[in-house]
Amino acid sequence: MVKMMEYECPCCGGMVEFDSVSQKLKCPYCDTEFDIDALQGYEEDKNTESEDDLNWEKQAGTAWTEEEKEGMQVYICQSCGGEIICDKTTAATKCPYCENNVVIKGKLEGDLRPDYVIPFKLDKKSAKEGLKRHLEGKKLLPKIFKDEHHIDEIKGVYVPFWLFDAKANGTARYKAARVRTWSDSKYRYKETSFFSVVRAGEMGFSKVPVDGSTKMEDVLMESLEPFDFKEAVDFKNAYLAGYLADRYDVNAEESIARANDRIRQSTENALASTVMGYTTVIPESTSIKFTDSAVKYALYPVWILNTTWKGKQYTFAMNGQTGKFVGDLPVDWGAYWKWFGVISAVTTVVAFLMSYIFWLI
Amino acid sequence: MKRMISILFAMLLLFLPVVTVCAEEPKRLVDGADLLTDTEEAELLQELNEISVRQQFDVVVVTTTSLDGKSAMEYADDYYDYHGYGMGQDYDGALLLVDMDSRQWWISTAGYGITALTDAGIAYIGEEFLPYLSDGEYFKAFSTYAELCDDFVTQAREGEAYDISNMPKKAFPVATRLGMSVIIGMVVGFVGVTALKGQMKTVRAQSTAGSYVTEGGLNLHTSRDRFLYVHRDRERLPEPDHGKGGSSTHISSSGRSHGGGGGKF
Repeated sequence: MVKMMEYECPCCGGMVEFDSVSQKLKCPYCDTEFDIDALQGYEEDKNTESEDDLNWEKQAGTAWTEEEKEGMQVYICQSCGGEIICDKTTAATKCPYCENNVVIKGKLEGDLRPDYVIPFKLDKKSAKEGLKRHLEGKKLLPKIFKDEHHIDEIKGVYVPFWLFDAKANGTARYKAARVRTWSDSKYRYKETSFFSVVRAGEMGFSKVPVDGSTKMEDVLMESLEPFDFKEAVDFKNAYLAGYLADRYDVNAEESIARANDRIRQSTENALASTVMGYTTVIPESTSIKFTDSAVKYALYPVWILNTTWKGKQYTFAMNGQTGKFVGDLPVDWGAYWKWFGVISAVTTVVAFLMSYIFWLI
Repeated sequence: MKRMISILFAMLLLFLPVVTVCAEEPKRLVDGADLLTDTEEAELLQELNEISVRQQFDVVVVTTTSLDGKSAMEYADDYYDYHGYGMGQDYDGALLLVDMDSRQWWISTAGYGITALTDAGIAYIGEEFLPYLSDGEYFKAFSTYAELCDDFVTQAREGEAYDISNMPKKAFPVATRLGMSVIIGMVVGFVGVTALKGQMKTVRAQSTAGSYVTEGGLNLHTSRDRFLYVHRDRERLPEPDHGKGGSSTHISSSGRSHGGGGGKF
């Protein structure tokens, strides 16, 4: 029995047939011709694609020793439910999240002990200066905000992060086209050559952080990145002295999705950047497999500054290691339209004068 | 005797042009359709005479109510030839004919007029006076024509005649340029304030993990580019439209060479 090979036309999706005249495969629907080898290879590329494998070996953190537990204290805010850990010498009087005074002490139980900590490198003074610099040169910042705002409190908080290590093995297939145009005296010619492009490679990722606390907004924490893990040290209770530590309430498994998204995006971008020399490149499929994956638990230093203005709370955060300062600011719409008017008017005058000068030449 | 005759003949030849030019100089404005008032007529005639004498180039305006069965071109050419217009031995000049019956205008050129008023030049002059002609502002239309003839002849005598590649500049289009400038201004203004507003927002999610890639980055182990198929298209180019410039000429019924152009109004 003769085995019938059926090939799908990569151009229109119809079934291609063998054309005895040209000795090539030809699509009866769109008249495109193919080399037999090319189509066979294309089918193979398509069939060797596999599902994503984004499994992690999850073994983050260790258990606290009894001795360590003794030295720690947990505060729970009765107002917002925020939980913080600190050592016994630090007295928390206000909830760092909602500014309420109602905090009660509890006992540290069941939590994991962090593997690493990046100690605070910048102090409270730097955080205040950071805010000042942050407000400088912002043309649309309401003037009153600058004068009126008062920092309710500046707190150094160790934020729990899950750190993901992995080697990502990515395979991506693209449909790429190269367009060549030329013309003679009568016609303009356009020749579009289509290619099936396959790229596969491995990329290592080390300590991709994901915020493990719902009290700290994920977006705010990601804005503070990157943290330099080279300066991280093995966790010791002593580092917490004088600071608050946020208690994680999102476990490693729940945080994986976010790490996967970012690693996948990076790998896809890296693979796509190696496809060069084409006019258009359209991704057709990608698959990512993780190997050598590991999850660790670490505390990263963050300065949190809260301020209230016109009944709205503005939260600023500073990377306690690098000094990167973030926080959205209110927009003065009066200033917005004033600047719009000024820029528009100046540009209009310049454009008009230029068009007149060009007319004179 | 033979020599006497040839000398006499030569002397006669010397006088002949002087006689024809001075004695029979035709009127440079013939308002057969009576489109102008008497004062306008006098003023226009004065202008036409002044330009014609100064440039040694007849600038003529003729209006009529009937083409006598001829085409506008034939009528204008014949009018020019049979009424003795044209200066110098090449009959330099240009005649604007306006026929109220068929609402057609035609500029007939001869001699140096063919050089100074190219096809494109006539089209340009037509565009300039057409709005006045259509609105019945005949005096304005005719004096525009006269002034432009003056300009064109001067330009031709001083260098290269106005033609397809070097047309006189039109007036600066203030309104359209101002409108464009305002639009550009608004777009730039919007881009500017958007950038300023962008400064106010510093809280952004990270879409990639680029900062945490280990040393060496991507280790590419497969890189395959497989040719699949090719599509060829061709598209007919529009016929090249770049005019040749210059003047096209024809021979009128009198056997002289004329250039010209015209249209409806």
